Formats: sequence, C-alpha cells, structure tokens
Amino acid sequence: MTSTGSAIDVSHLTKAYGSTVALNDVTLSVGTGEVRGLLGPNGSGKSSLMKTIMALTKPSYGTIHVLGYDVRANPMEIKKIVGYVPESPRLYEFLTATEYLDFIADVRGIPYEQKKERIARFVDALDLEGKQGDMISSYSQGMKQKVAIIGALLHRPRVLLMDEPLNGLDPKSARLVKELIHGLAKEGVSVMFSTHILEIAEAICDKLTILQGGKILAEGTSKDLRENAGLPGSGLEDVFLKLTGTKGVEDIVEALIR
Amino acid sequence: MRLSVLFKFAKVLMISRLRSTRRSIVSRSITSRPILIGLIGIVLFVAGLLFGYLTTVFLSSGGAPLTGPVAHQLVVTIFGGVPLFLVGFYFTMGLLWEVNASTEAESTDAINWLPITPGEYVAASALSTSYTYSPLLMVAFGYALPIGILTGNLVGFLVLVPIALLSTSVGSVSVEILRSALASASTAFNKLGGRVTVIMRILGIILILLVTQLLFSGVFLIQIISSLVGTAAAASFVPVFWPTLAITKLLQSDFLGSAGFLGLSVALFVLLSYVALSLRAKYWAVTPGAIHFAGAGSVSRPSRLGYLGLSSPSVAMLKREIRSATRRKEVVRLMAIPIIMPIMISFPAIFSPAPSSTSGPAQIDPIFLVIPFLFGIGLGSLFLGMTSIGQEGRRLWNISTLPVSASMLVKSKLLFTSLVSSIGLGLGAIVSALLLHASILVILGFLGLGLVVILAEASLGIAIGSRFPDFSDGPRPRFVTVVGSIIGAVLGILEMAIMAFPLILSFILRTFLSILLPLQFVLALSGSVAGLLTWVAYSMSIKPVYSILSELPN
Repeated sequence: MTSTGSAIDVSHLTKAYGSTVALNDVTLSVGTGEVRGLLGPNGSGKSSLMKTIMALTKPSYGTIHVLGYDVRANPMEIKKIVGYVPESPRLYEFLTATEYLDFIADVRGIPYEQKKERIARFVDALDLEGKQGDMISSYSQGMKQKVAIIGALLHRPRVLLMDEPLNGLDPKSARLVKELIHGLAKEGVSVMFSTHILEIAEAICDKLTILQGGKILAEGTSKDLRENAGLPGSGLEDVFLKLTGTKGVEDIVEALIR
Repeated sequence: MRLSVLFKFAKVLMISRLRSTRRSIVSRSITSRPILIGLIGIVLFVAGLLFGYLTTVFLSSGGAPLTGPVAHQLVVTIFGGVPLFLVGFYFTMGLLWEVNASTEAESTDAINWLPITPGEYVAASALSTSYTYSPLLMVAFGYALPIGILTGNLVGFLVLVPIALLSTSVGSVSVEILRSALASASTAFNKLGGRVTVIMRILGIILILLVTQLLFSGVFLIQIISSLVGTAAAASFVPVFWPTLAITKLLQSDFLGSAGFLGLSVALFVLLSYVALSLRAKYWAVTPGAIHFAGAGSVSRPSRLGYLGLSSPSVAMLKREIRSATRRKEVVRLMAIPIIMPIMISFPAIFSPAPSSTSGPAQIDPIFLVIPFLFGIGLGSLFLGMTSIGQEGRRLWNISTLPVSASMLVKSKLLFTSLVSSIGLGLGAIVSALLLHASILVILGFLGLGLVVILAEASLGIAIGSRFPDFSDGPRPRFVTVVGSIIGAVLGILEMAIMAFPLILSFILRTFLSILLPLQFVLALSGSVAGLLTWVAYSMSIKPVYSILSELPN
C-alpha cells in the first residue's frame, strides 16, 4: 500500500485483448472527493478502464492504485472499498430485488440491522417500494439499473465506478442519482463516472477526461476543454465533436434522409 | 399448414440447435451448410452398406448365401431393433437438448412474435429434430440394405424404411410433448413462491423427466406388464414396441399381425402429434421465470448455519445457488440429473430378483449391487459440478466485483453440488433397503461411500468446469465446453474406477480365491482414496477460478 494523496492513480496503463488495444498508455489521477467524468465515443476504452480499475481484468502493462492499494496485488481489498455499476448490468434475474441486495450485503459482511435499514432506505428512495419482492427478470431496464446502483452503494464505498449509470432511469431517479453523486463526493467519496450525455457530465463532474481509441485525448475542467479546443463560448457537445475529430454530421444526416 | 414456412422454420430451429455447440468445429461447418448433414448421411449410408455386407459375409459359411435360421435370426434382430433403437435415440437426444434449454432465451424465441401456428411449430420442430439426427437413420438403412438383399428379405427392408421413418417421427414428436410439458410445469410453478413451491417445482420437474424416460424404457414397461399378462404377449401392450412388432410379424409371415401393429404405430404417431399440438397450443409461449412473491420480501437474519462454521458470505453464496437451482429452468433440470441418473443406471439391478438370504453361499452382497447406483450418483455429481462455474454466465461480474475469494466460490459450488447429489443418495439408500433388502450396516456403508464419491466427483467436475467453462448465454447454454465435457467424462469414470478398485478387488478375492476381506476395511480404503482425490481436485480448482475472477471474459 502506497500513499499518493489521490484516490485513483493510473499510470501508463495499457490493456490489450489479443490484437485489439483497448487502452493505450493511459495515465490519470482522481482526487479524494472528486467526481471525474469519462467521455468518449463508443469503443473508446471507457468501460475497459473502469473494469481494469475494479480488478475485473488485468492490465497488460502499467499500474493502478486505488486508495494506495495496488490493484493487481490486492484485488480483494479493492473489491471491499470500491462500488461498481457496470454498463448494462446483468443481475441475477432469478432473485427478487430484496434477495439480490440481501445477498450483496451478506457477502460484504454488512450486519443485519444496518443491512435492513440501508436496503429499505434505498428501495424507498429509488421508487422500488412494493416491487422489491418481484423477480428481477420482470423488471424494466431502468429498475434493474436502480438495483445495480443500490448494490454498489450498500457497503458505503470510498470509491465509486459508474459506467453510464443513468441508462434507462426515469427523470426523477436520474436527478436523484446525480444529487447522490454530489452528496457522496462531499462526504469524500471519489467517483469515476462515464456518460454520453454531455450536459450531465458538465453539470456534475469536477473534471472530464476524453478518451478516444484507448488514449486520453484531453483532460481538465469543462472550461479547460473549451480553451483546449479553441471554442471558449461553445457548448460541450461542439467541443467534444471537435476534439474527437467528428465532423460532417450534417452531411451524413442529409445523405441518410435523402 | 404452409409448407414453405414449415421447412424454413425447421431449418432455423435446426441451425439454432446446432449452433449452441459453439466450440465444435464440426457443428460450425454444418450450420454454415445444413446440406452437409445430408452428405454426412450419405457417407454413413455407404459405410453402413459396407458393414452390413461384411456382417453377412462373416456369418455365411464358405461363401454360400446366408439362409436358414441364422439368416432369419439376423434379419429379425437387425430389422426389429432398428425402429426401437431409433425411437429411444431420438427421444433421448431431444431430452438432452431440453435439459439445457434456457427459459430466458426461449421467451425471446421468434415463435412468440412471428405469425406461426402451433401446428407449424410442432411440425417444424419435430422435422428439425428428425433431420438433425438423420445420419443415424441413414447408417441404419445402409446396414440393413445388404442384409435384406443377401438374405432374400428385400421386401422386409422396403417395409422397414417407412417404419423406421415413422419411429423417428414418434421419437421427435414425443420430444415436443416433453418440451410443452416442461414449459407448462415451469410456468405454473414460477407463478407461485414460497418454500413448499420450491420443493414442488423440483419434484415436478424430476417427475416429468422420470416418467417420460420410464415410458420409453422397455425393461421397466415389460416388468410392469409381465406381472399382468404372459411375458410373450407383454410386448404387444407397449406402444414403443409396436413399430418393431410390425416388422418382426412381417418377417414371420404374419401379415395380418404386421398390418395391425403398423396401424397401431400410425395411430400412436397421430395420437402423440395430437397431444403435442394440443399442449403447444395451450402452453404457447414460455413465460420467463417471473415469480411474484407474496409481500415485499424481507432481508435475512443471521443464518443458523453459522453454528456449523459457515461464514455469512458462505451462507449467502449457498442460498444464491439454491435459489438459482430452483428458479432457473435450465439449472432446475441440471439439478435433477444426480437424482435421476442413478435410478436410470440401476434399473437392471432394481428390477432383478432381490438376493435372498436363503439363496446359498454364492449370494452377492447387496453392497456390490449398489455400485451401479453409486456410479449414477457419481456421474450426476460430476455433470453438475462441471456445469456449476459456467452457470454464472454473463452474470459473473456480480461475483467478480464482490470480495469473494476463489476458495469461497469453489466451496460454495462443492457444497451445493454435494447437497443436491445427496438427495439421490438418500433415494438410493431407501431403494437399497426396500428392494435389495440391504442390512443397516450395508446402508450405512452405502451412505458413507456415496458421500465420498459425491465429494470426489463433484470436486473433479468443478476442476474441469473451471478450466473449460462456457459462459455464453444462448438458447441452449451448455456451461462447459465440448472438450471439457469429454475430458471430464473420461476422468470421472477413471476416478470412479479407482475408488471402486478396493471393492472390485474384494469381490474378486472372495469369488475366486475365497479370501474374505472385512467390508469395513474395504469401504475405509475406498473412502480414503476418494478423500485424497477430492483434495487433489479441490486444489486444482482454485487457480483457474482465481483467474476467472480476475479476468472477466470479454
């Protein structure tokens, strides 16, 4: 265990799946209580980065430290202190929400009274009250997402990795999750958060990292990114499109509807 | 019924069934060109011709034509055996497919949202089953043709062809009945919750599989019917024998009898088709497991299993396994295997006359008669263990993100597999007591030996399953790769042979050299070997499971 002051330290991380390089020499640092937004086109490496930090896949090269723990050497410690919401979570559909959360809490060793109180509180807050006794297989995508979010928060993690957590959520729940992220950050929880909705990223993230082709393209506050792109007064969408080299969208649309 | 839709749908069903064997190079090439099945059939037909010709040459003396009682016996055996074998084979293969079916995948099946009638579905599905296994039919035809020609029974062969086709249709349609029955059972049980329903669901599925398997077990049916009527006439009352009787009666020049049994066979096929159609129409779409429990459900209190030394995470893992096994259709059926398999394997022993205490010194100790039972339980445990890791499928991330060590996961899988297999063991003990009149000592020996066999085979299964897992979710998830299944089966049988060696040696010494080894000593030796093998297999599971947990399949 080393102490660097940052909650997440990624250094020269490269991850390859066979001949496909998902992450290429990525170096970044997320501070304690910081909300970091990960942006990038599909296949840019956002999910791979989160999986590697969560010790779900081994780095091909480079090092990762979470709260001082080397991810490769201490995967169990990482799993104890980090909460993770994957993109499109596949939950145990044969369990009810209560049974699923009960299982997560038991494996994480949360005492009975705390487990009962936390599950009830989250279920109520995320509007799952009355449906928590149904099998998860009968849930909509948004409801499954809510269960996955609760599962990631039950043990009060010190670091949260959320891969497009607002997918499928209704406006009220999306707002609640955004506020929750803010609140947790104030309590010192570090959050890494990926999304395609740039307004949300701008609204809740302290810093943004744009990935493309497995490499970091730009990093900083939204103001830094605007200046970096030479578009100081523009919206984040224009900045993103310029930095990722996406151009001629209007021409493509014209061709499609013709 | 629209024939173009029927054939197209049959082709799609066949391709989807074959593609579930994703890791097999053979099936990949077949699914790219389904006509290859036909070509394989032709090759096997030619091979059958050769073997059929060689059989007649072997049996004929000095190159003279094969005639007389030997020829008649050969023709009756081969021609009569083909229909019976085909019905059993098609049904068993269909049953095996159903064991692996996933409700989740079936509920998104095209049949639920395409304009296809129940009749078209049943016909297409039966046709796809028939075509998939048609190479077997072709080899049977190839083998029978030279025998028919060279023994002067070409007419018999020409009658055999439609009867054999009818037999494959009977087998294929029976699978459709089973498919609908299982779907309706799963759906009915899934609408309810509670512990009693969970037990009922398992028993219901086991009962359906057992009863349908028994219906196609000639040995069992003959036993039952023989007790009612004379042994010679017994076969006439067993529908599965009707196609066989149609051909054997013809070969005995009993044309009226042959026509009668042919008519009965056709009637059987029509009846089965009607039942299959009715069931499919009634239980059209498979409802995915959507249990709506009464109430909101409550979080669990600390388990009493903690007193046994199990940690809270271990109990949670075990509970999850049990819930998975009782609610996931494809897993419920896997779980039935360690219970059904010993019963199936030990049929001959069960239906043989029980050894009596007055039958003299040559009497076989019942402990040796329960070996087939233990063999079945061992195979069942092995199979369940092999599939246990792959069952995690795309849900593996749930475990991977939790602080669950490799040893904890292996232990939970081992504990669960052993618990399920122990139900089969318990049934075995009851059967041994009732049918084999085994003593308390033998029952205790059987239970003790059974437990170590279960542990050893389950550990080996998990070791294999963790090295060759198949996490892909498809209409027919197999949970373990084809290579893994083959290696596992070979090693599993080898392991059982090693464990049984002291018993077999004791039997040989007693029978041929009159050396009597104490039964307790023999059992203890077998148990020790099994314990050692359990430990080795358990140790071998840890590393691959650790790798799985630290590198999610991409």
